[in-house]
Amino acid sequence: MTTRTEFLGSIRREMSKTRGLFETHPVPRPPDAGQAFEMVKRQMAERWPQALERFREEFERIAGVFHRVARLDEVPGAIKRIAEARQAKSVLSWDPGALGLDLRKSLGPEGYSVTVAPDGDPDVPARQLHRDAAAQAEIGVTGVDWALAETGTLVLVSGRGRPRSTSLLPATHVAVFDRGCLLESLEQVGTMLEALHADPARSMSGAVINFITGPSRTADIELTLTRGVHGPKDVHAIFVEGR
Amino acid sequence: MSDAHLETPFPERAHAALGDAHLQEALTIATTKFIGLRKESFEGYPDGEALRDRARAIKEATLQGLDQHLERLADNIERLGGHVHWAATGEEARDIILRLCRDKGVRMAVKSKSMATEEIELNEALEAAGVKPVETDLGEYIIQLAHEKPSHIIAPAIHKTKGQVADLFSKELGGRFEADPEVLTAVARKELRQKFLEADMGITGANFAVAETGTIVLVTNEGNGRMVTSLPRIHVAVMGMEKVIPTMTDLMVFLSILARSATGQKLSSYTTLVRGPRQPGEVEGPEELHLILMDNGRTRQIAGTLREALYCLRCGACLNVCPVYRQIGGHAYGYTYPGPIGILLTAMLKGNAAVKDLAHASSLCGACKDVCPVRIDIPRMLVELREHLDREKIAPWGERMLFGLARRAMASPGLFDAGVRLGRMAQRPFVRDGKLRTLPLFFGKWTRTRDLPPVAARTFSERWKEIERP
Repeated sequence: MTTRTEFLGSIRREMSKTRGLFETHPVPRPPDAGQAFEMVKRQMAERWPQALERFREEFERIAGVFHRVARLDEVPGAIKRIAEARQAKSVLSWDPGALGLDLRKSLGPEGYSVTVAPDGDPDVPARQLHRDAAAQAEIGVTGVDWALAETGTLVLVSGRGRPRSTSLLPATHVAVFDRGCLLESLEQVGTMLEALHADPARSMSGAVINFITGPSRTADIELTLTRGVHGPKDVHAIFVEGR
Repeated sequence: MSDAHLETPFPERAHAALGDAHLQEALTIATTKFIGLRKESFEGYPDGEALRDRARAIKEATLQGLDQHLERLADNIERLGGHVHWAATGEEARDIILRLCRDKGVRMAVKSKSMATEEIELNEALEAAGVKPVETDLGEYIIQLAHEKPSHIIAPAIHKTKGQVADLFSKELGGRFEADPEVLTAVARKELRQKFLEADMGITGANFAVAETGTIVLVTNEGNGRMVTSLPRIHVAVMGMEKVIPTMTDLMVFLSILARSATGQKLSSYTTLVRGPRQPGEVEGPEELHLILMDNGRTRQIAGTLREALYCLRCGACLNVCPVYRQIGGHAYGYTYPGPIGILLTAMLKGNAAVKDLAHASSLCGACKDVCPVRIDIPRMLVELREHLDREKIAPWGERMLFGLARRAMASPGLFDAGVRLGRMAQRPFVRDGKLRTLPLFFGKWTRTRDLPPVAARTFSERWKEIERP
């Protein structure tokens, strides 16, 4: 078996032959991740309305369905309408703390079976139980960490009470977001990710960050665009105006 | 690709592809569509050109500090609870995975599309060891059921019609399926969903790995990459070592041009950043994460002719625009990586002798360089490769002798003029309607598919001399 030392040793031997032959100016990046983060926050506090408009345009272009509600307590109603259109009865959701909403209270009495992700540190049986529910659920409801206007992308960071599969296994994904999530460019996303990783309290929050740009798609058969090959066939984004 | 296929010489493989009317049609439709999508995408993106320059600069700078970036990546992955393996060869990479399967009692492995695992022919090795590999990218799934190999880096089954796929599914999965992509995709969804939930191991490649954060990045459209990295208890990623990049800021530069170059999308449906196995408090995710860093011939190119090929992002854009690829498709190349960049990668992985014919399967028109997101100078390297084939005496004897003579003649005006006079005499019996249509001996290979203009009755230099001395 090759060891790390041997592997890197042979690389170093070859590298020594090219020293000074190629330029090595790396791409400039924000010197202080925290400061850059604050700067983006300040910019977006002013520019979010334009960003929202662009997000909507791009999101719809990639077959996303955009909704807008005035307050958080109108979100369950919007989810209900989406479920009715698909004749869906089972809903999977992030932990109420992570989502800001307890759908069990609002959709449960309406005849929906609602499963929420466990908070805390789930043991093996609890994890299996959640997985079985996730595999059966028809609608998955998540929050959003960043909504990227340039590409209509939803960025979701996994973690406690925020399973990665809620936006993957159900055939319909509903993401709930507000103005605080909006970003304009991939460059800004980079700034946010640099800041996230520089912050020890947040950097270990979860193992996966997903950039979701529209529904699951393939064009592998005769280049015919087909949606919902493995992941969701429909993606909805509900924008909540009030904070 | 099996060696049996390679026993047929490249010219014959190419000839067979040219005679396959269905393949010709599929190739024309697919490559034309990809070219249009890419073009449209960059036309609406004024920052695109500058970002391509930046991306290239990052690749160049990263390669100059490759050892440090790899160390940093490995340290960070281990800090997050993952394991890093170092594989000098493809065989070693395979053995690492087989050992993991044995030790952990793995019976089925689901895979997302990965050229790195194609490169090491992993599926064959897994099968031989009693582990069932299941390809889950729709195109790869089709290819696996048909026992074929991918014909395009990003669209592995472009050579198949929906009718062929319907027949294949009907035969292999039992049932009678309509030749409708929508129906066939739904069939695959149902079949594969169960496999995701049952598999013990998920195997992926990696589009990038960010050294500073220990993040493995997968760019996919179908969602199978997310399934494979989330549901099985073990995730193994196989990555060519040159895929490491320094920072998250760098990653954003690549993400903004990769999907645009490949499919014309601004971003592909899913970009998945994996940092470590399941973290405390998470309800799902693999218990184990293994990253295999693979050399397999890459290191010797750091200071070699093919250095720039180490910048490649595997987007497939150079395939679509290549006049040779567009005519013969991926299979005729005979190796894992087809197209212009594939010739260079094959030489990197298998040695120069493997590409003695392929090195000439290019018109050197430069279209590949124009569309490459990191502006890899493929034509320059192809020319240098041809030079190596000559110097290392890999090129056929006749070819080397002929070009040796031509070089001498070009360097000496007297010899050149004598050659012209000789040619003019020798060609006389073969000129028909002002063209050389068939030539004898091995010259005949040239005229089998095209005509050669004859040596002129009076050449330019002969006329020039007359003008000089009126």
